[in-house]
Amino acid sequence: MASDHGFRPVRLTIVDDLRRNRATVFFRALLALPLMVWLAVWAVVALVAGAANWVAALVLGRSPSPLHRFLSRFLRYATHAFAYLNLAAGPFPGFVGRPGYPIDLEIDPPARQSRWSVLFRAVLAIPAILLVTIIAGYGANIYGLNSRATLSCLLSVAAFLGWFSALIRGRMPRGLRDLAAYALSYGAQFWAYMLVLTDRYPSSDPLTAIGPLPVRDHPVRLETGGDLRRSRLTVFFRLPLAFPHLVWLALWGLLAACAGVINWFATLIRGTPPRAIHRFLAAYLRYQAHVAAYLFLIGNPFPGFTGTEGSYPIDLHIAGPERQNRWTVLFRLILVVPALIVLGIYNSLLLIAGFLGWFAALFTGRMPLGLRNAGALVVGYAAQTYAYIFLVTGGYPYSGPAEPRPAPAFPRQPLPVPILAPTPVPV
Amino acid sequence: MAGSVTAAVGKVAETEPRWYQRPATFVLLGGAALWAWAGHALWVSTETAPIAGPQLEASRYFSSSFLERSATYGRFLEIESLLGMATLLVVLALYARHGHRLMRESAAGRIGTGMLLGMLGFGVVWLAEVPFGLVALWWQRRYDVSHQGYVPWLINSFLGLGTTFLFVCLALLVTMGLAGVMRRWWWAAAAPVLVAIGLAFTLVSPYLIPSTSPLRSPQLVADARALEREKGLSGTRLEVQDVHRFTTAPNAEAAGFGPSSTVVLWDTLLDGRFNRSEVRAVLGHELSHLAHHDPLKGLGWEALFLIPAWGLIALLTRRRGGMARPEAVPIALLVLVALQLLTTPFFNAVSRRQEAAADWGALVATREPAAARSLERKLAITSLSEPDPSGFSSFLFDNHPTAMERIAMTYAWEERSANGQQNLGSSHLP
Repeated sequence: MASDHGFRPVRLTIVDDLRRNRATVFFRALLALPLMVWLAVWAVVALVAGAANWVAALVLGRSPSPLHRFLSRFLRYATHAFAYLNLAAGPFPGFVGRPGYPIDLEIDPPARQSRWSVLFRAVLAIPAILLVTIIAGYGANIYGLNSRATLSCLLSVAAFLGWFSALIRGRMPRGLRDLAAYALSYGAQFWAYMLVLTDRYPSSDPLTAIGPLPVRDHPVRLETGGDLRRSRLTVFFRLPLAFPHLVWLALWGLLAACAGVINWFATLIRGTPPRAIHRFLAAYLRYQAHVAAYLFLIGNPFPGFTGTEGSYPIDLHIAGPERQNRWTVLFRLILVVPALIVLGIYNSLLLIAGFLGWFAALFTGRMPLGLRNAGALVVGYAAQTYAYIFLVTGGYPYSGPAEPRPAPAFPRQPLPVPILAPTPVPV
Repeated sequence: MAGSVTAAVGKVAETEPRWYQRPATFVLLGGAALWAWAGHALWVSTETAPIAGPQLEASRYFSSSFLERSATYGRFLEIESLLGMATLLVVLALYARHGHRLMRESAAGRIGTGMLLGMLGFGVVWLAEVPFGLVALWWQRRYDVSHQGYVPWLINSFLGLGTTFLFVCLALLVTMGLAGVMRRWWWAAAAPVLVAIGLAFTLVSPYLIPSTSPLRSPQLVADARALEREKGLSGTRLEVQDVHRFTTAPNAEAAGFGPSSTVVLWDTLLDGRFNRSEVRAVLGHELSHLAHHDPLKGLGWEALFLIPAWGLIALLTRRRGGMARPEAVPIALLVLVALQLLTTPFFNAVSRRQEAAADWGALVATREPAAARSLERKLAITSLSEPDPSGFSSFLFDNHPTAMERIAMTYAWEERSANGQQNLGSSHLP
């Protein structure tokens, strides 16, 4: 999958071993209180400094070094504090935003900025505000004056689910940690842009937000091919053009639901899904991915109606039927609840990415890479979640961005997946 | 060698039957005769109502200011509509020429790509027609006929494309699917399939009308049931559609057949501007449509139109590989729409005939010519329709008799009623 490998002036670095102390996890929200209070005080000063930075950048064409240093320090501290609060990092951070925290922020020194972009910063930031609201929770708990806990953004959902997992296992799941890191990365980019530290627009590309991605071998993987060119005519009519597909998908979905129930009984008895039902459900999931990709502008061409593998640039590869643990089959609908919670927020991201992408593609004839990859992340996750619900696979959906293992075929038995990084990952 | 080839060709030419000796010619001629007979049978199945009543002066029923205002209002919309049609044809002609290039935007197979081209064709038409729609809305708002906002209109219109696209896909699935199997003769086979789909749709269409609720007025329900008995009907669903947010114009429709027979009254008809007798006249009119099986006849007319239209499409799309190929779809759209525009005056005439028969049926059932006159007058005033438009305008645009023709009919009914001849001697007009 193509990704935004271009140079970023605001970068998140991760040196985290995923281990969490259960006691600090249990009291995490309370432990983070002093950090939040200090952040609120600092934020008031930062807002004033940000306004001064805006005027200075408008006059000078660049951010003055002292202001830039102060605001960078503030952003770094905010990232540390929120990483701690949301379980993206383990140790308690310092109060001055000093570099060296496991989830850290690197911000480049002041550079020349377009005065037009500085002047209209608040207007230009509107699409990013929409995205940051759903990714990092702007207004809910991002660098915040308002730190009430809600499950309305990816960051808080990752923290909520990670809390239970870390409490039980003493480790933060890699997928949830990376999801939180992605949210923190976007939040940091957003505020760096808003505080006029850089004129580089925040990128929502999950593939480059957190450095090198883990290589995973999930039985359900999305392949994102095709280019970013979009036909303006089909973009304009994208919603009504997808309407026949949506109707067909709904009809097919009724049959898929019935097949899913049959598959549940069959897999519970045999331990393996029947090949014919597996094939039928795999085609349905593939078709669902094609339609979602088309509707949300992740793909350009009009998809076929049969969900044939290899027929669409955004394609789903599903491994053949494999043995599944009967206990996980029996309790599948309960086990899938955390994944559905993540999917609920992910779907909001997909909706906003599609909405913003619609305008962008209509005016430029291209889909922004960040929005395309953010959308593809959601489509892939949705496919893994539904595949898990329908018992097409026993592999639990992986919530973070990942690099699929470039293998020509899936093995019958799932390989052991290094979910937890054995050593710290320097970024 | 060359001589032997010539001889062979000559031999083939001798053995090949001439066009009038081919069985296909006879099949086609037989089909054409059957088509003509069906058209005639359908035409005569609707009795002519005596709309040629006494010659009436519109100024007797409408103020001169209204006549002037409605003429100005109508003329503008007619010119606007003609310009819209011309634009439609130009756009479709351009699309027929260049539309096949959009095939590269599809990863679907043959039929899926055809569907995309069909939908985009209608999408392009929508884009071209949007300015005309907005101008028409501006004009209607200016004359207080509509109070719908421009943005809601645009959004509704855009989202409405989804339904259009769905039908386009269904139609192309049938035609392209059959064309893939039957090649040149798909159009003959497509007719029964689409008639069956049309029949199913006509049956369920009343349930698809949005924002409806059952008619609650006990008096009107009692009136409708009494009229039903007069018409030999029973169990007709009586619904009210909520449209007052978009328009002030009153209207009603009859839809479905058999168990789904439904009369739908717009709520603008029940907002107090029309009295009970007038609403009864509307109910009588719509129930007459159902008694005359007009929804089914409409389907019959559509089938009669589509069979030769598809034949022509099959002929004209051969250059692009026939209807089995997606690149033929833009041409098919152009031919279909052009034929529809060409035949509009004829179908308007059919509709006027059915509407006149329903008017007459309502008079026979309600026996209230004064209420019908008052209704027609109010309908014309509220919808600002010209009571007595020119013959040319009526020929091109009117699918209902004019207000003056309808008023004249009430006098004709009074005259016949006085002579004891209400029933016209027809089985269709009780």
